[in-house]
Amino acid sequence: MNLVFALAAAILFGIGAYLVLQRDLVRLVLGVAVISQSAVLTLLAASLRLGAAPIYPLPEGTLSDPLSQAMALTAIVIGMAVTALLLVLVFRVAVAFRSDELEEVAGEEVSLDARLEETEGEAHEREEAAAR
Amino acid sequence: MASAASAIAAVLFVALLAAWAAGGGSVSLPWAPTLGIRLELSLDGFAILYALLATGIGFLVFVYGSGYLPAHLGHQRRPASDARRFWPWMVVFMAAMVGLAMALDLVLLFVLFDITAVASYFLIGFDRQRAEARGAAFMALLVTAGSAVAMLLGAVLLYSEYGTFSLPVLFERAHPTPVTTAAAALIAVAALAKSAQVPLHFWLPRAMEAPTPVSAYLHSAAMVAAGVLVLGRIHPLLALDPAVLDALLLIGFASIAVGGLIALAQDELKQVLAHSTISQYGYVVVLYGIGGAHGAVAAALYVVAHAIAKSALFMTAGAVTEATGESRLSRLGGLARELPVVAVASGIAAASLAALPLTLGFFKDELFFEAAAEESPLVGALAVVAAGLTFAYLGRFWLGAFMGRRRTPASRISPLLVAPIVVLAVVSIIGGLFVEPFARLAAGAGAVTVGAPVDASPGYHLDLGLANVMAAAAWTLGIVILLATSVREPVARAVAAAGDRLGPRRVYGLGLLAFERLSEAAHRAEVRDLRTSLAAVLVPGAVLAALGFFATPTEGAYAVGPISAADLPIVALLALGVVAAFTAARDRGRLRPVLALSVLGASLAGVYAVMGAPDVALVAVVIETVVTLVFVTVFSQLPATVMGRAGPAAPSPHRIRNVAAGIVAGVTAFGVIWTALSRPPLGSSDAAQDIQLTPLAHGADVVTVILADFRGLDTMVEITVLAVAVLGVASLLRREREP
Repeated sequence: MNLVFALAAAILFGIGAYLVLQRDLVRLVLGVAVISQSAVLTLLAASLRLGAAPIYPLPEGTLSDPLSQAMALTAIVIGMAVTALLLVLVFRVAVAFRSDELEEVAGEEVSLDARLEETEGEAHEREEAAAR
Repeated sequence: MASAASAIAAVLFVALLAAWAAGGGSVSLPWAPTLGIRLELSLDGFAILYALLATGIGFLVFVYGSGYLPAHLGHQRRPASDARRFWPWMVVFMAAMVGLAMALDLVLLFVLFDITAVASYFLIGFDRQRAEARGAAFMALLVTAGSAVAMLLGAVLLYSEYGTFSLPVLFERAHPTPVTTAAAALIAVAALAKSAQVPLHFWLPRAMEAPTPVSAYLHSAAMVAAGVLVLGRIHPLLALDPAVLDALLLIGFASIAVGGLIALAQDELKQVLAHSTISQYGYVVVLYGIGGAHGAVAAALYVVAHAIAKSALFMTAGAVTEATGESRLSRLGGLARELPVVAVASGIAAASLAALPLTLGFFKDELFFEAAAEESPLVGALAVVAAGLTFAYLGRFWLGAFMGRRRTPASRISPLLVAPIVVLAVVSIIGGLFVEPFARLAAGAGAVTVGAPVDASPGYHLDLGLANVMAAAAWTLGIVILLATSVREPVARAVAAAGDRLGPRRVYGLGLLAFERLSEAAHRAEVRDLRTSLAAVLVPGAVLAALGFFATPTEGAYAVGPISAADLPIVALLALGVVAAFTAARDRGRLRPVLALSVLGASLAGVYAVMGAPDVALVAVVIETVVTLVFVTVFSQLPATVMGRAGPAAPSPHRIRNVAAGIVAGVTAFGVIWTALSRPPLGSSDAAQDIQLTPLAHGADVVTVILADFRGLDTMVEITVLAVAVLGVASLLRREREP
């Protein structure tokens, strides 16, 4: 089973990495969500033993490891919070820049930067010359 | 505040004298015992010399500063409260010097060494509204604190070799090995940079941007003196390898020559003195390079005589500038009539530095000549030339300011600016008449440096002894240089210009420029592209993980693990999830990938249910539903231009690259996860205890009890995180469509 879990988690991670590299910001959020799914799966697969649910009255035989389940729960909830926050940030960016394409957003940022630099560049140059 | 600082200095000075009279003393407390670092301080003969200098000259400089600083702030129209940025640093500077003088632990030495650098940074950059001052402070910090790292390296090397940072123990255990030599040389590099020796001398003339009291203190008893202090303190380690001593000789003479020649070409009063400091500490470095009892005593006496005279000269420069508003030699002259007291006092100080008889300085050169001639005739000859050079630039300084035609009228100045100079001149004269106390101080310091009692008996010998002949030769040479204006000036200017064009300062400037360009390029790349900034974090992390892989033995690290028929539903659900994830990645629409994501979540929830984790499964289902709803909500709010792009959009130009990156990431993750899962399970875990205790917590579901009880604090923090996220989401959504 190790191999199967590892394979599944790794494929999810790879897909997540691919999505994170996309230009489209919404797909980037999808990528983060997929990666967090992969992490939760790994956490649960790393349980020391698998078996019945650890709920009283305890059944016969091996019990599943409750610790990794508790950790997985935490991870899922935090993952959701991160996904939601990211998504809303993307939403704000899309509203502000009328685009969710990374390149276009970055392009605007750079031109903004260039404008800023023009105004402050001279003072900056002088400062650096003095430091030398 | 100024009077408080002066009082602290005076009290410290008296306390040190009293402690010394009572026989000194030492403290050794554990500081970081696990690292073998001790708070080891000792008031020995060496420490008392530097500590008395730091507090004594400190006191006079502080008194001078209490007159100087208000006027300085007034000229720059700064509020008087800015003095609050000055005096505390001066006191820290002094305290660090006193501590440095007494420190016997290499790490302690390093820490105090760096504190002087930090204090000097704030003091040099005191006129922080001027870019030059800020640049000068930065340069001083970079050069001195940067090279101080070499000292720490040397200390660690010594510790790895001998297992101690304590200098007295090191002196006992150390024997000449390549590691010891390297460590000693590293510490020497830090010391030489601090003492502004060639080729790391260029920060010192720039540091003249500081207010005059800072310059006076920095050049005489603090900062620059800290370098030779360290050399004298660790001298037994340096002396283990003659090559290190020879290097010191070479660097010292180079500094004497470079500093002296450039000083002859300077027009600014403080620049003349700054280059003179480079040259004067070159003498001390030469003496430590000569080594032995004579060298050590001569070096100690040299430091004392120089500190007294040089601080007086700096204060003279400040007083002259304050009186006339001029700081250039070419605009000054004939001030002896208007500032007779300053003229006489600074004349005595200059004479002391130039080693004329009846001043303390005479004896420093006497010992210097004796030690040099003893070393070899060549060193002796170089010593005479060096002294001649010193005589010449000091003569040029004093004659230029106080003799000749009057160029700028002088106004009255505060007696606070004059009195310290007079006191120092009187001390110089007293030293010239009764050298005994100073010689004893120097002999005590020299004894610590060489680790054996030494005797020094400087005195006037009215004969044709070697030292007298050499001194006479040096004066003659100095007078010749002074008179030969037509030869001197072009040569000095050429050296100064060559230094400006080819010198290490240019290298420093170019290096700084290169770093700026690099940082700007990195910054630009990061701003321009989220991918590159992600890569900057992820690629090094991935490289580290990969290294960890290759370093781990593979045997038994990967296990396939048994698969039973009961596991088949898990395999099927995992396959479904993977297919859904692929769909989410491939589909270029808006809603379909989100739906695919929720299919992935649901199938994983199924996996968890089969794995005996119903709690996780239930939460996963709820969460998946919420996430899908959030996506849909956001999509419904997105501007039409963004949503309208749905459908077969143009494939990304980086598609192949992204796919390749995804595959590499997947393969690496596969390796990491597989090997992690293949570790054989531990024998026991907290889980058994948790299961056993659950009924006591009045619960039935172990996972719930863990979250709500056993690890309740974790859960509370988690809820807080969640609440913050919800607040963020709500506030970002509520701002409607305004940008």
